[in-house]
Amino acid sequence: MIQTQGLHIGYSESILSMDDLHLSNGVHILIGRNGSGKSTFLKTLAGQIPKIMGSIKIQNNEVSAISIEELPKIISFVSSQFPIVEFLRVSEFVGLGRNPHTNFFGKKTNKDIEAIDKALETLGISYLRDRFTLELSDGEKQLVSIAKALTQETAIIALDEPTAFLDYSNKKLVLGKLVAIGQEFNKCILLSSHDLDLSLDVNCPFLVIDDTSKTIRFIEPGISKSELIKIAFD
Amino acid sequence: MNISKRQNALLLALLICLPIIALIHLFVGQIDISFTDYFDSIFNFDDRNASHLISRELRIPRMTMAVIAGAGLSIAGLLMQTLFNNPLAGPYVLGINSGASLFVALTIMTGIPFFTSDLGIVTNALIGAFLFGLIILFFSTMVRMQISLLLIGLMLGSFTSALVSLAQTASDAQELKIFTMWALGSLQKVELHQLPLILACFGASILGAFLVVKPLNALVLGDKEARLLGTNIKRVRLVIILITAIITGVVTAFCGPIAFVGLAVPNLVRILFKTQSHAILIIASILIGAMFILLCDIAIQLIEPHFIMPINALTSIIGAPFVILLVLRRLK
Repeated sequence: MIQTQGLHIGYSESILSMDDLHLSNGVHILIGRNGSGKSTFLKTLAGQIPKIMGSIKIQNNEVSAISIEELPKIISFVSSQFPIVEFLRVSEFVGLGRNPHTNFFGKKTNKDIEAIDKALETLGISYLRDRFTLELSDGEKQLVSIAKALTQETAIIALDEPTAFLDYSNKKLVLGKLVAIGQEFNKCILLSSHDLDLSLDVNCPFLVIDDTSKTIRFIEPGISKSELIKIAFD
Repeated sequence: MNISKRQNALLLALLICLPIIALIHLFVGQIDISFTDYFDSIFNFDDRNASHLISRELRIPRMTMAVIAGAGLSIAGLLMQTLFNNPLAGPYVLGINSGASLFVALTIMTGIPFFTSDLGIVTNALIGAFLFGLIILFFSTMVRMQISLLLIGLMLGSFTSALVSLAQTASDAQELKIFTMWALGSLQKVELHQLPLILACFGASILGAFLVVKPLNALVLGDKEARLLGTNIKRVRLVIILITAIITGVVTAFCGPIAFVGLAVPNLVRILFKTQSHAILIIASILIGAMFILLCDIAIQLIEPHFIMPINALTSIIGAPFVILLVLRRLK
């Protein structure tokens, strides 16, 4: 689903090179130091910042060649900050995920409404539908953000530190939901995280930013915690 | 379902109230004009009949202008607030009015006859408003904090008023008079034959606003998020600035600068409707904005026998404390 070849990424100058990747369905967890380039990789993938060199393809199309109208139909991005907006209801927020699919006026069809309902249901937050986003707890905000990404009905979901700011039970809940979504809906999910223990528990492949060689390496599930720490943080 | 029912009921109530207030507005003037006078002035006009003249040449244009100024400035404010992600933005605080004023002042004082014609003043107000819109847009991409943009807008206002005073000291009595009359501004200055031009600009802006409903809804989440949802930010920004410039330019050209309407009304609308869905916000801003200026102008006409209150003074007296309340509410 995602293919990279000789990819170098960064802002203006190359900060990271990458193993040639070939990612398919399921959850992939991005591990690395603060400032090592996790967000940079996710943003490059989502077309927010241009790559430095090499190739990054989604479903066999170069990311930079996909139009800004088409890209949100293929990849959705959950940023680490939740927007602070007064009077924005959960249903409106999640509904914005339909924007890439609706017509010029943004009119929602039955199909759009179904997608919203289904996303809320999948995450078990249908009861939040009419609440204001400002009134949500951190855990609820994260689930609502993921619901918005789900309504986008993309093959890929990229999440920038979705478990930061959450308590232990919410971290587990969010990660568990993501793994379930990856399996149930056949999506490729990439998320960055600092929660090593939880990440090891879910038994998913890692993308680890090797701090010495400044490369992103693909690591199969089953790696031990000490090895993981050695690659990423020593 | 409950929410949209409540919103629909509110919209319906506003829709009923607006024509009633507009009708009251037509009948509060000091000279009594009957309903038949109004009817005849439109369908059976007699230019020797004083009542017909007053209704056709004064009252109807004034009422129409009140509706357009209120609705137009409110739309402009709503669009700017969403574009800049700042509920305290508006055409007045961000200096869009100032741009229009500056260009009108400079061109009136160049003494070239075209510029002092209706079309000349409107054209210049439009250019000034659009130019200042672009300046604010430029600054908005550079500053990160919401408050910075407001300060820049205020500084633009001070800067232009200094330039305007300079131009005034350098101009002769006739030019000064034309400009002062314009700058005082009021809803009474509009003449019937100017209404088609104003209505056309107003209609175009409203239409434009409805065409960008989808990007506006996405922009609520900020530029970056909107782009991630497939919004063409650069194009949408320009369209929004163009719409606000047209409506602010035209209203400022004919009524002078009217403060705080564009800032206050959209906030009131959001508090009432509790939504960020722009189709609703635009319609409600049109209705409430129009009602607000109509009510202000009714008050002005009622106290007219005692003293004369410029429209800009009244909107500031009501608007400024409301904005302070908004700020306090957000600080909580």
